[in-house]
Amino acid sequence: MELLDLIPNLKSLGIEYGTLLMFALLLGLLLTGMPLAFVTLLVALIFALGWFGPNAVPLITSRVYSFVSSFVFVSVPMFVLMAALLDRSGIARDLFDAMKLIGGRLRGAVAVQTIFVAVVLAAMSGIIGGEVVLLGLLALPQMLRMGYNRNLAIGVICAGGSLGTMVPPSIVLIIYGLTANTSIGELFTSAFVPGFMLASFYVIYVLARCYITPEVAPDPSPEAVPSGEKLRLLKGIVLPIMVVIFVLGSIYGGIASVTEASAVGVLGVLLSTIVRREFNLPMLKGAVLQTLATCGMIVWIGIGASALVGVFNLMGGIKFVSALITGISDNPTIIILFMMLILFVLGMFLDWVGIALLTMPIFVPIIKSLGYDPVWFGVLFAMNMQISFLSPPFGPAAFYLKSVAPPDISLGDIFRSMLPFIAIQIFSVGLLIAFPGITGR
Amino acid sequence: MMSDQDVHHTTDDRKRSRAVSPGAVAQAGKIGWLIDKGGIIFAGGIFIAMLILIQEVFLRYVLNSPTIWAHEATIFLCAVAFIYGGLYCAARNTHIRVVIIYDLVSPGVRRFLDVIISLVCMISAATFAWASWLMVQRAAFAPDGSFRLETSGSAWNPPTPSLLKIFMLAVMVALAIQFLVLAVNYARGVTQAAPSIQAEGEK
Amino acid sequence: AAEFEFKFQSSDPSGNPNFELQQGWAKSLAEKTGGRVKVELLPVGSVVEHSETQDAIAAGILDGHITDTSYFTGKDAAFGLIANPVGAWSDPEQMFDFMENGGGRQLMNGLLEPYGLHFIGATTPGLEAFVSKVPIDSVADLKGVKMRAPEGLVQQVFAAAGAAPVNLPGSEVFTALDKGVIEAADYTVFSTNQAQGLNDIAPHPIYPGFHSMPLVEISMNKAKWDALPDDIKAAFEQTVHDFSRHQVAVLAERDEAAAAAAKAGGKITVHNWSAEERANFRTIATGEWKQVAERSANARKVYDALTGYLKEKGLVK
Ligand code: NA
Ligand code: NA
Repeated sequence: MELLDLIPNLKSLGIEYGTLLMFALLLGLLLTGMPLAFVTLLVALIFALGWFGPNAVPLITSRVYSFVSSFVFVSVPMFVLMAALLDRSGIARDLFDAMKLIGGRLRGAVAVQTIFVAVVLAAMSGIIGGEVVLLGLLALPQMLRMGYNRNLAIGVICAGGSLGTMVPPSIVLIIYGLTANTSIGELFTSAFVPGFMLASFYVIYVLARCYITPEVAPDPSPEAVPSGEKLRLLKGIVLPIMVVIFVLGSIYGGIASVTEASAVGVLGVLLSTIVRREFNLPMLKGAVLQTLATCGMIVWIGIGASALVGVFNLMGGIKFVSALITGISDNPTIIILFMMLILFVLGMFLDWVGIALLTMPIFVPIIKSLGYDPVWFGVLFAMNMQISFLSPPFGPAAFYLKSVAPPDISLGDIFRSMLPFIAIQIFSVGLLIAFPGITGR
Repeated sequence: MMSDQDVHHTTDDRKRSRAVSPGAVAQAGKIGWLIDKGGIIFAGGIFIAMLILIQEVFLRYVLNSPTIWAHEATIFLCAVAFIYGGLYCAARNTHIRVVIIYDLVSPGVRRFLDVIISLVCMISAATFAWASWLMVQRAAFAPDGSFRLETSGSAWNPPTPSLLKIFMLAVMVALAIQFLVLAVNYARGVTQAAPSIQAEGEK
Repeated sequence: AAEFEFKFQSSDPSGNPNFELQQGWAKSLAEKTGGRVKVELLPVGSVVEHSETQDAIAAGILDGHITDTSYFTGKDAAFGLIANPVGAWSDPEQMFDFMENGGGRQLMNGLLEPYGLHFIGATTPGLEAFVSKVPIDSVADLKGVKMRAPEGLVQQVFAAAGAAPVNLPGSEVFTALDKGVIEAADYTVFSTNQAQGLNDIAPHPIYPGFHSMPLVEISMNKAKWDALPDDIKAAFEQTVHDFSRHQVAVLAERDEAAAAAAKAGGKITVHNWSAEERANFRTIATGEWKQVAERSANARKVYDALTGYLKEKGLVK
């Protein structure tokens, strides 16, 4: 226990400087090259020990336990397994060849179609992680093969893959609905238009770039494809569409819950590989092992953030942040903007679970007392979470993509690719604040 | 060897399959090798979880007789896979790192960083192992000291909460040992024969 | 600053009416003690998950909690039985009387103290309303209904009544109900169900409820409790007593208003079970108590005390 004497009494710092030190430590340790999962866990440990002493350490393991045994994460390994199986079959290649054909003479068609695929995936799932991995394995190599600009391809995949929590069903909106005691149905309905608005902004951006700087997208194929070849190519789209019908049909037909539907998707892909005579045991073994490795990485990133928020809340974080917000101004608009700023800053350092856990309990009562519509704010919150998935240095979508991207693509490359998409997201947040009517409220 | 190499390749972009790397890094030692080999048990668990969800949909929708155990069993299988996955990535050095500065420094400094990072992670993991032990004490023993596994309290009532806490303890201990082995081997200058995946990923 | 500062974690989220009422309790305690005691109330999951608060209080991480006792069924089946003896209570006042005068308090402390906690008092949001997409007016109508039921005894009783209980977490209830994966759900009180939009997608709620009235315990670390002076202890107990009545009254009023609004809206059909059907359900439920009583010595104690009290008061034959 002499080791404990090395840990200074952090409580004497007070919550203001404690919070600052926490961010500084996160950033500093992140830059040493320490694995991210252990950076947040270590900072949580330092503050648990330094603020409360060894008695508080089980708080961290308790949060780890609760995090991994949460049902909402069951769909993540299912999506990753789907991705790993697709990656080992020729389905992805055939799908993209067919998409290219359908895209015809439109420059950037496949990038636009990838966003469309991302929206479909978003309607199939309520959480992010799985879809970024799926698109990373499915679309990235194909887009690079076709000659798309690397940064554009990466940005499309990370931004598109994050739509899962914006397009209903969405776990962020469900958690928000439970916290705010508002109708989840109304939240879903209100998120519909903003979700598609965001996706269509991505499409507009992609098309604009492809026409302003034509070198970022391949030339639309000039040669006419013989109709026999056309038919062969179009067959590539049949199996993936059937899988999508499987999954969406089981959700919207009331056959399966959202989580169960992700397992239905795995089954669909598995059957597709059998139909295509690509299935064998070594392939399955490789796919499940990759799923284990990818999920270990994804989940451990979230574990640390969840633990850190638990420690921060015990330190008095809730009181501190709500005093900070209500003290900033009497003008409700400034309070809303300040909340957005807090979300933006937290998004640079924490996983969405941590941010939701920390800020929702604080924001919701304030929003209600200011007389704002909590449904509108829920959609705004979900929109802001989109930024957190992409923004550096802690950008989950970037990490998920990094775990499956070719090694020559660095995190720096990925983050650079996301900047235009982050700008679009910030613009969308601004639109939602300026024109709450977009949510239909 | 990882099965990935034996897969029948249908596409030409197989280069990406390094996403599944060739096993534990050399510095991880014997325990790393063991952790890597053990991965298949928990990876298989994810596959079984998928099958359980499918059969639950079938039983409920087609036969109108849902089970009382499918969801809890699925959560348990995924939870152990998630926990083991962290250990698995540690042995294979595939946890995500931000290596902006790490890549700028000389190989000597980098080696020094590897040793220090591994030691710090080892201390954290050992502390979490101790904290897990405190949780296990409350989950596996009644207040009178008698052995009883805490259950989920559902109609099925399996002892999954206590089993998961015991599993966490085992993984935290293994993680501490793994980081110790990594620290020692980095200090000794053991290098990877095959190119490491993550460490070189950032340029 | 206050003489005694405590951190209590609630099992309700910050925007939930229960949480707002609980904050009112913390305030009344501060007033009653002239500012000597300050309880900071933290929403669910803010420090540890709802199922982990008991351990956290024992370890001294949290000081106390306001939570549904049934979350600790896995530690001892007795918690599950005392927390929600399905079918026992038709009015919160009956449960409060059992807790305060019928030996409930002593039972709770007998259960909690070995775990390092002290039971201060009980409250409840009241009788839960039943959420359903299909009209259910009798036990017979429950047959084959796919419904979500979370905890042990509730699930067991519905299975015995012929329903097909589905084990779904709270986060999946809404979409599953909306899309028809399940047809009914054990959720919470009418006004909250209404606010969260459950009655819009499942327009056949049963109100007043017949199936569940959770015991919400307010308890704290035993060593910290023992160290308190007697007047502070008394203030705790008195304010918890007043709070429980206040919570029940406020929520019942809101339930009535919400039910009236729902009826007036015309889209929702509020069902009310006959006394006879309620009795039928109660008979099935009490049959299940016996099975829980076999699970541990403490559960047996709870069973004996509960049935003894109900007989004495003439609530069961
Ligand atoms: Na979604
Ligand atoms: Na971020």
